[in-house]
Amino acid sequence: MHIPDGFLDPWVLAGCFVLAAAAIGFSSWRLNGRLDDARVPLLGVVSAGIFAAQMLNWPIPGGTSAHFVGGAFAAILLGPYLGCLAMASVVVVQAFVFGDGGVLALGANLLNMAVVDVFVGYALFRALVGLGETIAAFVAGWGAITVSAAAVGLQAGLSSTFAYDLATTLTVMTAGHAVLGLVEGLITVLVVRYLLDVRPDLVLGLTGPNTGGDRPEEATV
Amino acid sequence: MSATWADAPTWLRRSLVALVVLVLLTPVFALAAGAVGYAEPLENVAEATGATEHERTLLSSPFPDYSVAGTGTVVGTLVSGLVGTAVTLLVAVGLGRLLDRDVDT
Repeated sequence: MHIPDGFLDPWVLAGCFVLAAAAIGFSSWRLNGRLDDARVPLLGVVSAGIFAAQMLNWPIPGGTSAHFVGGAFAAILLGPYLGCLAMASVVVVQAFVFGDGGVLALGANLLNMAVVDVFVGYALFRALVGLGETIAAFVAGWGAITVSAAAVGLQAGLSSTFAYDLATTLTVMTAGHAVLGLVEGLITVLVVRYLLDVRPDLVLGLTGPNTGGDRPEEATV
Repeated sequence: MSATWADAPTWLRRSLVALVVLVLLTPVFALAAGAVGYAEPLENVAEATGATEHERTLLSSPFPDYSVAGTGTVVGTLVSGLVGTAVTLLVAVGLGRLLDRDVDT
């Protein structure tokens, strides 16, 4: 899902930068001064875990592979604002240290993976959590990936390098990830279920769009 | 993060062990993905619509494509996994510290 440089038109890149900066800025503003000491190491290990998990490419017979992206997972575990910053840390390190995703395309990559993936995943999880955490986490993982892929398809389709073939880019990206997203949903469920069993107090997204104000041990299910 | 290993809460110690396990798995997955010919859907779309020829690298990165110059897949991926996971941890903790509530004042 990482967009390299050269793929998107300048105005698409600029628009993505503005939207990503607004969402990340808003998240930081909501968290500023409210982030308890206990939340900082949690933010660190979740971000690092998502980076490492993204390196695990699950081979799929037929010449493709899928890897966990983690936006919905970050949102369920950390809440939307901290989840957004966790994914932003991952995407920035990937771009500058590993050349995964272009530097000019950084705004687009942040928008798709740190904003759309996180906030869509969070909205789906909160909307469906009444039906049970398992269903909610699965749909959140699957739906967030699919919507993020549609966003990539839209950005690519609006750019002239893709010959204005919006229908093709949107269809292939969305359909492809609607299938790959099942893996994302499954991994999201497995990890969230495990954490709910052992340390439900660490699953911050369960308690509403918290801003990190309460200590983990005070958060209740 | 100045606390010692023994002072850290159990969940944090377990999380750090889990991170090490994930990193140790990266070369295995890199070999497997290489065996089936790794390609992401975005690359397939770019291929189909002719956007691939526009792809450029504007900034040379220290570990391009999660590899280390002069090493094979296993060592390159392992080093990339270690460095990337550690740097991400530091970046996120640094970000968190910036937003941290100032408890002492």
